[in-house]
Amino acid sequence: MTDAQHRRPGALGSRARRAFFALALAGVCVLFAFPVLWLMLTSLRPQSGVYYVHKGLEFTLDSYLHVLRDERLVQAFINSGLIATLATVFSILVTVSSGYMLSRFRGPISSTWFGAIYVLRCVPYITWVLPLYFVTQSWGVYDTYIGLLLPHIAVHICFFSWLMKGFFDGIDPSMEHAALIDGCTRWGAFFRVALPSAVPAISALAVLCWLFTWNEFLFALILTGQNTPVITVVMAQFVSEMGLEWNLMSATAMLALVPAFLLTLFGQKYVIRGLRI
Amino acid sequence: MEQTQTLQMKTPRSRPAWFGEQQRFMLLLIAPAASLLLLFQVLPIVIGANASFRDWALNNPKKTWVGLSQYLNVLSDAAFLQIVLPNTFFFMFASVTLSLAAGLALALALNRPFRGQHLVQTVLLLPLMVAPVIAAIMVRWMFNDQFGIVNVVMEALGAEAQPWLTQRWSAFAIIVLTDVWLWTPWFTLLLLAGLQSLPKAPFEAAAIDGTSSWRVFRHLTVPMLAPVIIVCIVIRSIDAFRTFDIVWALTGGGPSRQTQLFSLYAYEQAFVFLDFGKGSAAAITGGLIITVVGLALYRVLDRVTRASQ
Repeated sequence: MTDAQHRRPGALGSRARRAFFALALAGVCVLFAFPVLWLMLTSLRPQSGVYYVHKGLEFTLDSYLHVLRDERLVQAFINSGLIATLATVFSILVTVSSGYMLSRFRGPISSTWFGAIYVLRCVPYITWVLPLYFVTQSWGVYDTYIGLLLPHIAVHICFFSWLMKGFFDGIDPSMEHAALIDGCTRWGAFFRVALPSAVPAISALAVLCWLFTWNEFLFALILTGQNTPVITVVMAQFVSEMGLEWNLMSATAMLALVPAFLLTLFGQKYVIRGLRI
Repeated sequence: MEQTQTLQMKTPRSRPAWFGEQQRFMLLLIAPAASLLLLFQVLPIVIGANASFRDWALNNPKKTWVGLSQYLNVLSDAAFLQIVLPNTFFFMFASVTLSLAAGLALALALNRPFRGQHLVQTVLLLPLMVAPVIAAIMVRWMFNDQFGIVNVVMEALGAEAQPWLTQRWSAFAIIVLTDVWLWTPWFTLLLLAGLQSLPKAPFEAAAIDGTSSWRVFRHLTVPMLAPVIIVCIVIRSIDAFRTFDIVWALTGGGPSRQTQLFSLYAYEQAFVFLDFGKGSAAAITGGLIITVVGLALYRVLDRVTRASQ
């Protein structure tokens, strides 16, 4: 199904086929969007109508107001945003140089590092987050911002180094060579020549990193207590504690979607351009 | 990539410097990443491995050395061997296969221009923005046995309402489909980027020859796209193995552990049954299994990438 094939003359079939294509695509779009639309509809229903979302036409923003007045929820939103933003900044800072190294050099150091990050990426989160609970406690950072932030920076190092290597592989290093020959230091070549050309890739990774951290659950579940609630964990506690108030739950979920939605909307083109591995 | 693409310098002073200025630069570049990984991943893994050999109940941490008995506990646990491990591998296989198929179809559809493409693309990326926990809660609400829209529609159609999330196979299918919904956009993105970077000439030649679209797909698109497809499979398989959040929020592993996956099992041993030793042993066992699978997958990836160059 390429361009060329699309242009193939097939007078009779082509119209029917195009209609079929459009219909199938519309069906898929509905499947993809329906859960979110349903959530939105639920969040707009008043408490009395929430069990019969499909019947009745009263809509209200009460659930949203209720959620926004809940201090713990607001705090959770702020925490999630703060952690996601800081983790993105630091994660990008450390992975750019690591990916650059993997792309530009060969030899034992490079292949050892590549092997290490590949194996470490295979290790399931649960294998290191269980003991991390004790590590953060013994360092006295359990349930603090720093204790939540640092593991979140570490989570994506392996994967992002791998992606970043792919980006740098696609950038011709001859400019860096030229800079080195002209007397530029290696650091100069990295910061002033390689980094500017990696900006699209860095934007793509930043968008992904922010989304992943904002949406992350397991680390937050184990590493937070009362002091640093984040939105995914608070949402999950909703299910058990307020399992019946679906309108409030939906409103919270919708509010949690908004920042991710805006970011994806604006970052879409960077991600699509940057993900060529 | 070829050797010419590197910044490897032939030092003019011809000393066999295996640790010279270049090596120092390389190490400095990875130093921040490496120290974070050491502190927050390697160190915890070592501590967990140590705990897996000890009697370490959270409410009574004796921490005495018990050898391999925690591992024997895990490996003789019928729930682990007969439910959790098969579930995890079946989940991994089903989720990756289905989202690969869907992602490839959507990438092919998006690879040619049509009206409304931008809108369709945005809609297809929607699941990427939704936290797995939120997706699970959403799906849970839709499949609620009394008030969920799915049962409402079923009843309207004259079928019987089902307790979807409390029957083993329907619950498992819902977990798999939620994961497919969440991760298909990811496949679509990577495959679309791959498709767009393929050379145009072979496809134009095939079009001139009047080759059928199935043959073009089978003999041109798939072989040329193979490296990207394998990368997707490798990345997603490893991630699918450790899936935690959607099971936690959809079924909690129930009914009675029937939908439990590996991560949830280890979590439950440590934080519900408060047996950190056994939880660690389970976590390490699973970690070893998936690392072996991951290394095998890497060999496949390596072979395919080499063959395509």
